[in-house]
Amino acid sequence: MIIHPQLRALRDDDTPQRAAQDATVDQVMAWRNQSHVAKLLDAVRAFAAGGDLADHQVLARLFDAGSDDAEALARELIGVTASALAENWLGHAPFRHFTDDTISTLQLARSGSVTLSLVAIDGAGLAKRPPATTADSSPSQVWERVLAGHARAVTIDRCSTRPDRADLSASTLSLTPGSIVVRDARSHHMRLESVDGCLVLLRLQRRLPEAGPTREYALADGAMVHQAAGTPQDSRTELMMALLGRMGRPDAAPAMAVIACDKGGKVVRWQALRECLSLDTAAGFSALCEVARREEDELAPAAGALRSQLIEAYPQLKELA
Amino acid sequence: MNLPKIDIASLPDLDTLTGLFGSLVDVARVQSSDDTIVFLITFLYEIDPTRGIL
Repeated sequence: MIIHPQLRALRDDDTPQRAAQDATVDQVMAWRNQSHVAKLLDAVRAFAAGGDLADHQVLARLFDAGSDDAEALARELIGVTASALAENWLGHAPFRHFTDDTISTLQLARSGSVTLSLVAIDGAGLAKRPPATTADSSPSQVWERVLAGHARAVTIDRCSTRPDRADLSASTLSLTPGSIVVRDARSHHMRLESVDGCLVLLRLQRRLPEAGPTREYALADGAMVHQAAGTPQDSRTELMMALLGRMGRPDAAPAMAVIACDKGGKVVRWQALRECLSLDTAAGFSALCEVARREEDELAPAAGALRSQLIEAYPQLKELA
Repeated sequence: MNLPKIDIASLPDLDTLTGLFGSLVDVARVQSSDDTIVFLITFLYEIDPTRGIL
């Protein structure tokens, strides 16, 4: 393997890389601090706090057919980032980014449950992917604007209100520069079928934290084949609780009891009950009984059944109930 | 009171199992329009030694 001498030297001293990264960040930050960009970032923060997109004009204009603000933003962003990287070739683009050579994403702004991203999809790579077999229902709202390229997309509408099965209906959509797609991803899924060359999109997505899990339905018959947490926070909490559980940390039990009785998602609350019961029987059983007693709580039936099962197995728990 | 030690494996899961955020059955689903991938990659980015601004 041939390793460039300057890269090899970084093994002993990574100062040049850190200096290059600092310089890259400084140049991109100078652009972000310009008033028109700062106003946009403020609008992303305000939109994360709530309200309709129309209430946040600077952001809404990016997805308004009568405005070319989106194209101007992308041009500036690419210009600033490319020139920073050209001057500092050891630097990384200082945005969260992802690429698998087919789909590349650069996250321009993020606040709470809102992200604004630039996305590029390579047509040749996309053509090599296996055909899709499922469509998902994700608790989020999505605004997309095509900045460059042409593509054929399929939108799939979910008509059923039953969570375990969906009536899916598909329609095709041509995407060309200037196309704007706005959808509620709980009931409207969009998938790219083919792209001529490269498609570049600006995407605004707002997750709806209280709107339940993401569900994946088979295109063939509409059966639900998978369900996943709708927000990363729920999964982080679950992983943290599992780790504390395996570490045998009873001091974490009170915090778990609070999560179990709080307003969060059903799944993360149930895992909190299980972990809490195994770490501290009294604290866990007390939380379980509280949840079981609440008439309007969607976890109450499952909690009530588990309470009965535990009392049968361990009669001494009856005194705590 | 002498309380039992409860084994977590003996406690049932909910009827429908729920995977972690971003888990999926259909690998082709990554071509759907969603920011899940970049959300997930941030788990790795946070431990990247280079400095980011977001």
